[in-house]
Amino acid sequence: MSDSSIPDADIKRAPAVEHALRPILHARHLSKQVASGERRLTILSDLGLQVFPAESVAILGQSGAGKSTLLGLLAGLDAPSDGELELFGESLGQLDEDGRARLRAGRVGFVFQNFQLLPTLTALENVLLPLELSPRPGGSERARDWLTRVGLGERLEHLPKQLSGGEQQRVALARAFVTGAELVFADEPTGNLDPTTGARIIELLFQLNREAGTTLVLVTHDHALARRCDRCLRLENGHLVELTRDEVEA
Amino acid sequence: MSQSAAAPMQAATAARLLRLSARGLLRDLRASDVRALFVALTLAVAASTMIGFFLDRLDRGLTRQAGQLLGGDLVLEQGRPFDGELRRTLEEAGLTLSDQVDMVTMVSHGEAFQPASLKAVDDVYPHYGVVHVDFGDGIETSAQGPAAGEVWVSPRLALLLEAEPGDRIRVGEAELTLGGLIEREPDQSAGFGSFNPRLMMHIDDLGATHLVQEGSRVEFEILAAGPPQAVERVAGLLDRLRRDGVEVRDVRRDRPGLGSALERAEKYLSLAGLAAVLLAGVAVAMATRRYVERHLDTAALLRCFGATQRELARLFALQLLWLALVASALGALLGLAGQAALLALLTAFLPLTLPPPGWLPLALGMLTALAVLVGFAGPTLLRLRRVSALKVLRRELDPLPASAWLVVLVASLVFGGLLWLYSGDLALAVSLLVGGLIMLLALWGLGAILLGLVLRMTTRLPLRGAGSGTEWYQAVRLGGRQLARRRNASLGQLLAFAVTFFAMAMIALVRGDLLSTWQAQLPEDTPNYFAINIQPSERDDFVEALDAAADDRTALYPMVRGRLTAINERPPREVVPEESRGDNSLRRELNLTWQAELPEGNRVVAGEWFDELSPNEPPSGWLGAVDAEPGATTVPISVERGLAERLGLTLGDRMTFTIGGEEVVGDVASLRDLDWDSFRPNFFVIFPPGVLERFGHSYITAFHLDSGEGATLRRLVRTFPGVSLLNVDAILAQVREVITQVTRAVELVLAFVLLAGVSVLYAALTASRPARAHESGLLRVFGAGGRLISRVQGAEFAVLGLASGLMGALLAELATAGIYVAWLDLAPRLHPGLWFVLPLGGVLLIGVIGHLLSYGLRRQAPAASLGLLGEA
Repeated sequence: MSDSSIPDADIKRAPAVEHALRPILHARHLSKQVASGERRLTILSDLGLQVFPAESVAILGQSGAGKSTLLGLLAGLDAPSDGELELFGESLGQLDEDGRARLRAGRVGFVFQNFQLLPTLTALENVLLPLELSPRPGGSERARDWLTRVGLGERLEHLPKQLSGGEQQRVALARAFVTGAELVFADEPTGNLDPTTGARIIELLFQLNREAGTTLVLVTHDHALARRCDRCLRLENGHLVELTRDEVEA
Repeated sequence: MSQSAAAPMQAATAARLLRLSARGLLRDLRASDVRALFVALTLAVAASTMIGFFLDRLDRGLTRQAGQLLGGDLVLEQGRPFDGELRRTLEEAGLTLSDQVDMVTMVSHGEAFQPASLKAVDDVYPHYGVVHVDFGDGIETSAQGPAAGEVWVSPRLALLLEAEPGDRIRVGEAELTLGGLIEREPDQSAGFGSFNPRLMMHIDDLGATHLVQEGSRVEFEILAAGPPQAVERVAGLLDRLRRDGVEVRDVRRDRPGLGSALERAEKYLSLAGLAAVLLAGVAVAMATRRYVERHLDTAALLRCFGATQRELARLFALQLLWLALVASALGALLGLAGQAALLALLTAFLPLTLPPPGWLPLALGMLTALAVLVGFAGPTLLRLRRVSALKVLRRELDPLPASAWLVVLVASLVFGGLLWLYSGDLALAVSLLVGGLIMLLALWGLGAILLGLVLRMTTRLPLRGAGSGTEWYQAVRLGGRQLARRRNASLGQLLAFAVTFFAMAMIALVRGDLLSTWQAQLPEDTPNYFAINIQPSERDDFVEALDAAADDRTALYPMVRGRLTAINERPPREVVPEESRGDNSLRRELNLTWQAELPEGNRVVAGEWFDELSPNEPPSGWLGAVDAEPGATTVPISVERGLAERLGLTLGDRMTFTIGGEEVVGDVASLRDLDWDSFRPNFFVIFPPGVLERFGHSYITAFHLDSGEGATLRRLVRTFPGVSLLNVDAILAQVREVITQVTRAVELVLAFVLLAGVSVLYAALTASRPARAHESGLLRVFGAGGRLISRVQGAEFAVLGLASGLMGALLAELATAGIYVAWLDLAPRLHPGLWFVLPLGGVLLIGVIGHLLSYGLRRQAPAASLGLLGEA
């Protein structure tokens, strides 16, 4: 991977239709089992999914349905028990954990339910963290710029504990987009926020996604959030089911 | 990717990691565990460099001083002139040579005759230092010896000869002018062998004296000076010369010792330095645990953002490496300041000017910091490498902690390596290490039993006490249960505290015992005068006069001079180890004595003393055992262990002495250790009574006389003009001053160890802070008041302090006994006070530090306390 291959977040990307035939993320017959005492528990079974560039996909499901497990697999944070998964055209099954990490570097962003900010780092330092692994010129300016975009230009030097929940999630959003990621995974991004703050965060997430032309995969049980996505899928009994707009509205 | 492209990329990655780690460390300085790590590493480096710098400078200073005392870096001595080829070889090796001839001869001035210790020197003399001479206008320094035609003499000889500068002194057949009075020679070494007053002359005048004749007792010396490499170049030649019977004195091999008290002090400093390093290591291990726990989330996030395992490992290792570098720099500065303080405290001990500090201790200090980091933090740190990226989604997915045994094993191996490095003794390092590990295992078991007991006792406490005792019962119950619940963490803390108390106590105990040993060694009435040359005819009168005048005196020892002429009926040089062929005992007459009782301060270490050999016969029974025929009958003799070791003698070996033309044969019946620092007459070889009496002999004794007893002294001198009295007050005062100053130095080092101990307590309590925060938060949620929480924590700390104090006391008793016997040559002793002081001190110290560190937690809202886990 070279820096030049990473699209700059500030440049609007080509429309999705041009990439329609080449999914950015492609899962085939994916399954995941875990040991539970002496039994093996199937969480995901024969699951398939294609996500195309600049598309936003929501994965809905009840608590314990395996949404976070699926997100972990799709992002290459965990290995499936069976099946194939391609990310950016590369088969994750062929890569070891370090290889998968290298594939993510600078190309994948994350937003977590519990923000996952490092408590000893300031807001600016937290945003700088992924840039330090995939450095690019003007990294510090870039981080400041993204924090300003999420409305925290005045709070660069604040530690997480000095920020509200909503502000912490804004920092997390800036951190997810700052590298110019092609794909952002979001795990219940509003799960720890009150409805009003959650709504603002959703607005901001989609605004940033739109501006950066990023592909977005989010797992949630929040239908309001899911409705904002291009496609919605529900995780049921280990399988993904495509939902119609009406089903989501319902 | 081509290889040529990969190299700059790797360099760029390395540079990025370096930058990233430095930046990460700067941010991390806010965290208490990083501060604890920093303090511990700084202390480890400071302690090791302070002691390293000091001992290195001392070693080089003593070598330099020894060179001055010897008269060169290398001194060769034999009874005949050296040949030219040897001289050329030495010069080609890079050594500057100076010739010297020594002998005892009679000199005269007018009607006055006096034996003198003659030293003939050349123009190169002295290699090191200056001669202090009074040429008639006060004392001046001279970088040369006397010119041809001149002699310089000691003031005592001038007095005895009634000569003044300008007078003509007859030396052999030559008459030379008295040019000056020698106040001090740079290469003067005092001893009973050089009692005759000094006469120094130029070597060119020696021929005219006709003193050097076939068979005359003359010592020819070559004094060589040069860098250590030059001496090293001729090492093989020196070994050959030793085998040929040439006495070879090498400044590095034959440097005068420090004396047992100071050797012990030196060992103590090394021991204390290692204790400080061990404590710092424990602190590092404790702080690293917390550091790693705090960075699990960071590691998981970085994995998410694309960091590989190797990058993670390098990143955190580099971060700690930066920390170690900064700590090393600060520690080295502290070490430098510390060694300067040590030197300032030891001015009487070190009248010599020491060379500036070298680089080696600094390098050793930094190596120590790195070793401590790798050994005590390494295995724990590897946990960060194993963090799964999935932890960002599932917090519970922490990698398993490093096995406690792996941590202990790696730390022990590294510490063992340091022990070896500092002591230079592999066997000692291995035995200490194995002993330490066994002890640790035993402590682990003991700790588990103690924790179990605590749990059992606290559960049996009544739920309700009487009156104000209720809350206390409750607090002790809760505190005990919390300790027992966190069994592994509590055991770890217990061990760390016990090792800390043990190290602190051991260093304090050894200090106290060393000081009392030193003080006992030189009591107020230590002899300050030696009386020699007491003739048998005046012996009883002298003893009577001395007993009336002196506070205390040693026994009177008869002294007979004899030459060792055979060992096991063969010439000694053929029997002794090669390196001892030039030993003084083979080249000069030895002072022999006879005694029925084992002299005070002597210890038989092998064989039996005379009275044990023939219990039915009085010691005087030996009197008839010696036949008039030389060598026909043997007697048992007792030999000093050091001499026996040098000459390769064991029990039963036969030694033949020639005394006044007769041979006396003795079988080695016992080996003795004796205290050379005791200011008492000491002898290499002791015969039983009844053997040596028939030879010409005189007596020697040592006695104590107060400084105000000048009149008594004058009376003694007048009454016994033939007896020589040597005043050793100045030496005694210097030794006492040395002991006082070494005591202060030892206390400075002790302070360092105590500081290192406190750093362990700080690190350990910091490491357990989040768990305590969580527990106190929960207690608050369930309705506990601030006072109860404070008492619960207080009870927990008190139990920890009490148990670790007891375990520390046990360890300290065992370890000090081992160290005394094996290393410091002191008698082991019990320290009952320790069993009260250490548990009580543990309760107070851990209680106070723990309570202070937990102050903020007690004031925190429960929500904050419960959210604190995983944060700084």
